[in-house]
Amino acid sequence: MKLDRIVLENFRQYFGKQRLTFARDPQRNVTIIHGVNGAGKTSLFLAINWCLYGRAVDNTKIVENVGELVSKELISRAVRGDRLVTSVELHFLHEGERYMARRNLRGTRQDGASVVLDSTDHFTLMRTRSDGQTETIKNPILTINAMLPPNVRTYFLFDGEKIDEFAKPESRKDVKDAIYLVLKLEILERAKRHLETNADEYSRELRKVSSGELAQLLDREVKAREERTSDEAQKIEHMRSIESARRKIVDIDTTLRESQNARELQSQRDQIEQALRERRGELESLIGQIRDLAVTSYFAIAQPAVDRALQILDEKRQRGEIPSSIRQQFVQDLLSQMRCICGRALTDGSTEHQRLLNLLQHSLPGSLEDDVLDTSAKLQPFAERVGRQRQDIDTAMRRRTELVGAINQLEAELSDIRHQLTKSPIEEISRLERQRQEFAADIDSANLKIGGINVHLEKLTKEINQLEKEIARAKTEEQRANLLQTKVDLTRRSANAIGEMYERFADDMRLKIEAKTKEIFKLLAWKGDHFEDVRLGTDYHLEVIDRYGTPARPDLSAGERQVLSLSFITAMSRVSEEEAPLVMDTPFGRLSSHHRNSITLHLPALADQLVLFVTDEELRDQARSNLEEKIGFEYRLSFDPRTSCTTIEEEGV
Amino acid sequence: MSEGSASRSDRVIIDEAVIDIYRELTDGSNVEQAPFRTHKDVFMLAVALGFQRGTRRSAPSHSKHTIRKEVFTDLDYHLLKAIAIATTGDVEVLMRQGEVLTIAEEFAQVGIHEVKSNLMEQAGRPLWNLVSLT
Repeated sequence: MKLDRIVLENFRQYFGKQRLTFARDPQRNVTIIHGVNGAGKTSLFLAINWCLYGRAVDNTKIVENVGELVSKELISRAVRGDRLVTSVELHFLHEGERYMARRNLRGTRQDGASVVLDSTDHFTLMRTRSDGQTETIKNPILTINAMLPPNVRTYFLFDGEKIDEFAKPESRKDVKDAIYLVLKLEILERAKRHLETNADEYSRELRKVSSGELAQLLDREVKAREERTSDEAQKIEHMRSIESARRKIVDIDTTLRESQNARELQSQRDQIEQALRERRGELESLIGQIRDLAVTSYFAIAQPAVDRALQILDEKRQRGEIPSSIRQQFVQDLLSQMRCICGRALTDGSTEHQRLLNLLQHSLPGSLEDDVLDTSAKLQPFAERVGRQRQDIDTAMRRRTELVGAINQLEAELSDIRHQLTKSPIEEISRLERQRQEFAADIDSANLKIGGINVHLEKLTKEINQLEKEIARAKTEEQRANLLQTKVDLTRRSANAIGEMYERFADDMRLKIEAKTKEIFKLLAWKGDHFEDVRLGTDYHLEVIDRYGTPARPDLSAGERQVLSLSFITAMSRVSEEEAPLVMDTPFGRLSSHHRNSITLHLPALADQLVLFVTDEELRDQARSNLEEKIGFEYRLSFDPRTSCTTIEEEGV
Repeated sequence: MSEGSASRSDRVIIDEAVIDIYRELTDGSNVEQAPFRTHKDVFMLAVALGFQRGTRRSAPSHSKHTIRKEVFTDLDYHLLKAIAIATTGDVEVLMRQGEVLTIAEEFAQVGIHEVKSNLMEQAGRPLWNLVSLT
């Protein structure tokens, strides 16, 4: 930023419009504004600050009392009710473009020389485009803050009386802040903080998501599958034993069939077993039929609801609210034709006509009527259906009882045959039968085990199906967790990388500023050789070392401290390579002529633009002549005690 | 009990707390132990037993387990309509499908416990206990 022009209007003692142009020619970059104490130097300095930042920045007040900004002369000349305007217009260049910032404050004149100010001032920022047209910038405050951040402001627009602050022992933080702000290291720090916050948030989310559930589920699934494989293997083993036992039974049966003494009994047994298989098959099929009938038993249980609903529907019909099988449209047609259903003409008000009207008035809306009729028609056969269902179940249950009886009878007959064969006097037959019974018992036992295995397998299959679903869900969760973990790693690595970059850059900048401060301090301090070194330590302690290698600060004069601070500020401005004006209010007040001379000799070359608010005493003799060739514009603030107003007068260069 | 049924979904809700009863009566190959083929049939029995008991209770507003209305046969739905008419005494309930389904859900909320007690907590197997209910 380089200042070009300022226009004050009714600002404090500057009554009316007052203009001042700043020198910005690289060869003549110094603007001198002379003024005795009280002439208006500080007001002009304040005008620049107020125009750019308003009454306060980041809780730091720029203006204590806004009311004091309005020219007293203006107030005194106004009458009650007049609208008063105080404004400051600052023209400047920034990165090759021309800008105009304007802040104005309005108020209304009251009785007793007082003014009621509008609640806020008004700030506008205009940019002149390359085609010469001006445009209003929509977010003026953000734009100004980006050009010269408010927290950086005090390093470029400063009060000479307070400049020695950087050289005070307690100023380490100020020095550090200044470096961070001016060199925009704060942006890196903010990026690091932001990334760290994000990483923390991702970590928190990750803790919620990842619970190691997937590993547990997979473990359970593996175990369940292993169990199933083992069950299936056992089942096959049992089936093989059954098959083997059956073959042996078939062999025994063949032997018995061939044995003269057992043939008849074995033949009976063959027939009974065949009959038993048939009965059992029939029973199984019957149970299926009973099941089909029984699952719809809810119709029978809810029959009272059907009966009650039909009763309600019938009552409606009896009351004529549901025209039985007479459609609403049909009644309407009869009425519009004024004809009875038998074809006779209806007369208005006749009994028949009235009856048709009643029918229409009490009938239900068309769609409901359809629904009622449909429901009624569908519900009517329910009772009959339920009755039939009951009969079918009864019949099936009776048949079941018969079949169970027949099966029991056949089983008893088989048992008898087994007994007879076991007790056979022929040893071989008895032995074979006992063996046969053992094989049959083996088959029963194996079947029982297979039954148990089947139940277990069914349970396992359900469990595996459920686990598969849960695993799919947990995998999705884990993918999310992996993604979050990647995000956490990435943000932490980025934050660390920025942190390292930041440390290196900050250290690099610190060393550059240290070297530059030393160089400038040696130029500006008249006892240059006495001071051996200037150090800006890792703790941001700005220290001057004397020729004895000891810290010289306790011995530094107020003026030397001011020169050290000025060296530091100028060094920062050089290192940052940001184009910025150095505006100094009463910079030389505390300085001896030695320092004034060296500062005036070197400062114009160290700053892009230098604006000095000085008293005549501050700038004379050698100091004045040192600056002479660098002065672009020179003004005098002329205070008139008769009007208590200041006018800005340009002095010939 | 049945307020707010005008804008309800056309799926009936099965309370998650009783889903195991539905599962036990439908899962597996043993028809005597698990006689029902579908959850819909268990639900219909629960509605009928709830109506028989004459008590309703609100169903939860959300559940992972629902039955689409299309699963019910035409006869099933007419039975649900009859139950709604018998419960409200108002034929106009036929115009309000939401209310018909809500009433059914509310009876089923109570009836499902009757199903459990009558079919699963008696000496015989569920199929024969079911037969003895008719």
